[in-house]
Amino acid sequence: MGKVTKRLQVLDPRGQPSGIYGRGLDPDTMPWAIHDPVNQPRASVAEFANLQMAPRLDSLEGKTVYLVSTGFAGSLEFMEELQDWFRRNMPGVKTVLRNKKTSMFTDEPELWAEIKANGDAAILGVGG
Amino acid sequence: MPTAPIVTARFAEYVQRDSRTHGMYLRWSFPPYPVGWVSRETIRGYIQGNDPVTGVPLTQEIIMALTQPLTEEEKHPRIEKRPEHPRLLPPDTEENLHRLFLENGWTDGLPIVLPTEERVAEMLTGTDHAPDEVVGMMSVTTHEERLKYTVEKVAVIAVMAGARPEHFPVILALAASGRPSMPSSTTSWGSMMVVNGPIRNEIGMNCGLGALSPVNYANSVIGRAWTLMSINFGDVRPGITFTASTGNNINYNNMCCGENEELSVWAPFHVRKGYKPNENTVSLFRGWSILTGGMGPGQKLIDTMKRMSPFGGSFTFVVDPLVAKNLKKEGWDDPEKLAESLVDEMNPRFKRPGMVNFVVVGGEMNPLYLCTDYSYFQTVSIDPWIPKSGVRKDPRPLRMPVPVMCKDGSCGISH
Repeated sequence: MGKVTKRLQVLDPRGQPSGIYGRGLDPDTMPWAIHDPVNQPRASVAEFANLQMAPRLDSLEGKTVYLVSTGFAGSLEFMEELQDWFRRNMPGVKTVLRNKKTSMFTDEPELWAEIKANGDAAILGVGG
Repeated sequence: MPTAPIVTARFAEYVQRDSRTHGMYLRWSFPPYPVGWVSRETIRGYIQGNDPVTGVPLTQEIIMALTQPLTEEEKHPRIEKRPEHPRLLPPDTEENLHRLFLENGWTDGLPIVLPTEERVAEMLTGTDHAPDEVVGMMSVTTHEERLKYTVEKVAVIAVMAGARPEHFPVILALAASGRPSMPSSTTSWGSMMVVNGPIRNEIGMNCGLGALSPVNYANSVIGRAWTLMSINFGDVRPGITFTASTGNNINYNNMCCGENEELSVWAPFHVRKGYKPNENTVSLFRGWSILTGGMGPGQKLIDTMKRMSPFGGSFTFVVDPLVAKNLKKEGWDDPEKLAESLVDEMNPRFKRPGMVNFVVVGGEMNPLYLCTDYSYFQTVSIDPWIPKSGVRKDPRPLRMPVPVMCKDGSCGISH
């Protein structure tokens, strides 16, 4: 007779999907609230379903491109160097450099409105 | 508006997956990592070089992100849905199940108690709440989908941690906070949880000598349960959702303790936060580390703070009851006023609620305080989770040896 090994039935410990996500902070919110699940704003799958990428440009020539530094360490220096690269290599592209006034986690509607009003495209970074 | 997001290559997989789960097919460009704290020449080299993930020249990639027509997939994005897990895992041997939990990253690496149906059912006797009641949602990330959990799921975690039903109300209160003990940050956070109210003594928590040491059953399993739920409800996957660069071994137990209300000359912490003395609560703190220890009068506290963070920051002092007594003799009857005074003296520009905190923990063996860089976040009521008939204790509750207080010097320690 072979040894009978008892088999156990146990419960799965993992949480279940909720369809709820965290999202960027509202203006005037302190940056550390991004890691505060009680106060961080939430978004649902339904809200994401309406988000789509904008049509692309034919060319950047003669266009205004906003370079937005998010505020992570080195991002401003990166955007300054990228602006310098455009000046030297694509002088027909107008670049406008902006540093986010709030934290990298916080929404900034005024800046987005400025870019929409005056720009043709935007480059955001550097994350991480 | 055509937009080209840039993130360092170290986070390429992270943001690409995040985009997919949100149904946003963003066109990322990835310079090498790190971008912060490097020279201008290095950054210039990144910009003139290739994206290390795709091998494409970085500037060319950025321009293409803004000018190449959208693909059909990009025009019609789909949100990747996570699957629901069945309640039960396939039956297997004890050895194989331990391996399954370990190899899937569902534990903290230490042995667990397997959550059998019988054990989970017993744990559920520690509350009157229905097993299918949703307790909350959690994620260790800021943007990933939160995972929800029921009373039964929390019971699974409590069993895994080695807890008994008497501990379950505190563990449920932790779960109800929705706050993971180890949120994902490259900076490697740690957390602290402090229990107030009569339940501390009822379930045998240690608030006195060695309260922060591994010498007490309740402190150990409750603190561990917070991290096990953070792993399984908060979806910790190292390098994928969890990015703590060095990590933090405070995460094993989260400095779980009770406040020594009996020896403290100050109002208990939860009373200072608006609760009644006989209410049971758990207060949650988060920071990075224990910065230093110290002794001496109140002025030493400000010296310590200035030495540790001259530009301001958060501080939570874990003080032995003897420290509180000494500070009271100096005229500090209310630690909240002491905290305000310290912030004002340090740098009022950074003043915010919960910036400096005091909790009284310890056994009066030494008038010593621990200075942490922790912020206070939240106090959660435990009482809604306690059965109407009271905390459900075992006929013979499990207790480790109670610390012996040396009052006559026979232990060799002089005060």
